[in-house]
Amino acid sequence: MAATSVILDATWEHIVLVYTTLFVSILVAVPLAFASLYNRRLASVVMNFANLVQAVPSFAVIAIVVPFLGIGFVPALIAIMLRALLPIIKNTYIGLTSVDPALIDYANGIGLSEWQIQRYIRLPNAYPAMFAGIKFAAILANSIAVLTAFIGSGGLGEIIFQGLIGYNTGKLLSGAIPAIVLALLIDYSFTLLEKKLTPQYMKS
Amino acid sequence: MPTQRLFERIESIELQQISKKYGSRFAVESLDLSIEGGELLILIGPSGSGKTTTLRMINRMIEPDAGNILINGQNIIQLDPVSLRRNIGYVIQNIGLFPHMTIGENVGLVPKLEGWDEIRTTERVRHLLDFVSLPPDRFIKRYPRQLSGGQQQRVGLARALAMNPPLLLMDEPFGALDPILRKQLQKEFLEIKKEIGRTIVFITHDIEEAFRLGDRIAIMDNARLVQVGAPEDLIFEPVNDLVADIVDTDRKFKHMDTLNVKDLMTPLDAKYILDGSMDARNAVEIMKDRDTEIGIVFENGILIGKVEMVNLLKHEESHPFLRDIAKPMKVFAPRDSVATALSEMKKSGEYMAMVMNGDTVGGMLVSDEVLLKLI
Repeated sequence: MAATSVILDATWEHIVLVYTTLFVSILVAVPLAFASLYNRRLASVVMNFANLVQAVPSFAVIAIVVPFLGIGFVPALIAIMLRALLPIIKNTYIGLTSVDPALIDYANGIGLSEWQIQRYIRLPNAYPAMFAGIKFAAILANSIAVLTAFIGSGGLGEIIFQGLIGYNTGKLLSGAIPAIVLALLIDYSFTLLEKKLTPQYMKS
Repeated sequence: MPTQRLFERIESIELQQISKKYGSRFAVESLDLSIEGGELLILIGPSGSGKTTTLRMINRMIEPDAGNILINGQNIIQLDPVSLRRNIGYVIQNIGLFPHMTIGENVGLVPKLEGWDEIRTTERVRHLLDFVSLPPDRFIKRYPRQLSGGQQQRVGLARALAMNPPLLLMDEPFGALDPILRKQLQKEFLEIKKEIGRTIVFITHDIEEAFRLGDRIAIMDNARLVQVGAPEDLIFEPVNDLVADIVDTDRKFKHMDTLNVKDLMTPLDAKYILDGSMDARNAVEIMKDRDTEIGIVFENGILIGKVEMVNLLKHEESHPFLRDIAKPMKVFAPRDSVATALSEMKKSGEYMAMVMNGDTVGGMLVSDEVLLKLI
């Protein structure tokens, strides 16, 4: 069993890693999804790359980052992001492209500019799909953040690995249980947020 | 960012030799069409005849391959498409209300983008909802899918009117509604049309709707404009079988053969009656007060003829008596055949005639109204 302060520190590190990664992923993914709307080539490159990364085992993605970026927080962040990016890009892109073309046409007809169509018509209609992608990415990031302890990211994974190596079940559980609780919390909090952010018109 | 107000009023819209091709097929071919300011022009024809393409070229949703479109003499190719569209109201069949916005947000979207503050936008939205008979308090916060089709269509019209555009483009606005609702909205739209007095280009596939609403009707077929004219022009002088078929000339004539003038005449409203001993200046004043543009002149119970406001204004200075300037009118007896009466009126270019039973007034025969009753 690890000391409470160690568990708390590790949990905090874990949370920071997961949410920083998620935040950076959203910043990268959403503009990429928008850019893909305008460029079919870009869309196909981005989608294929994201699909490819998704097919590679998480652990391999983490391993492959090391020769290029070394170990530590940033390489871990990149490794997680490579996996978390896909659901966000893909869902955002699908959300943006599945808006009824008649609405876009009509928005054009009443004199909305290209930018205004994105801002007022496409984006709001893509929210539900986008949000589902972000929620999935968050859960994915949480689980991969356990593995990145191997490359020095810190976090709950470190305690788990120490427990595994030393056959210390108490220590193992003191890392694993907070990780599971975190996953449940993420799922729960995002579900709440989703309910709150879902546009009114989709509820009733 | 507010866009420029491009025109306060439409004087004319000229489509000159417009062509648009998709692949090897013409969607619109060498189309010439003049639309007069203030009129409601109907575009009608079989599906795929090029109506919607024509309409969408006026707000540059589609760019023609050849030809020019001038609004008030200005070539629209020189105008920024976004500002052009903000100066033109646009209503389509499937309404196109944005599902994620409330009714208020839908109607107020363009004003908001034009930089109106919230108070002014809300005021405008409420005014427009009132205008289309949707009590604002009940509807402003609702979402489109909580409304019936007819209510949504009203919102669509309100939204098109948001920036008070001098030109409205309407692509089968009532096409998706059931027949009874369609009639109801047409009736309301006619009143709105009177009130707003704008230029309207209106697509329909329903000839009854065309006759009901249109000042002039343009018939399209196979990417070309076949004939354009007032309803009676199309009925009495269809240029080909297609036009005759669309306006259903045969059926109407058959129908008309069995009818007499008295079946279709309208009573003569007392406000039109003027006395032959009245002078022109007096008559102008009286007609202004009565809100009429024409007068029927009688003297000692005998019909002299008719006078028109535009002519009276020219004669005002010389104070002539109405009996001296009234123009003779066609007179029919109640038992005369409608078909004969209408074609005689058509020949002399008159749109109204008197119906007299000997010396007593039977009523008026107005060609537009006659047509409306036949439909």
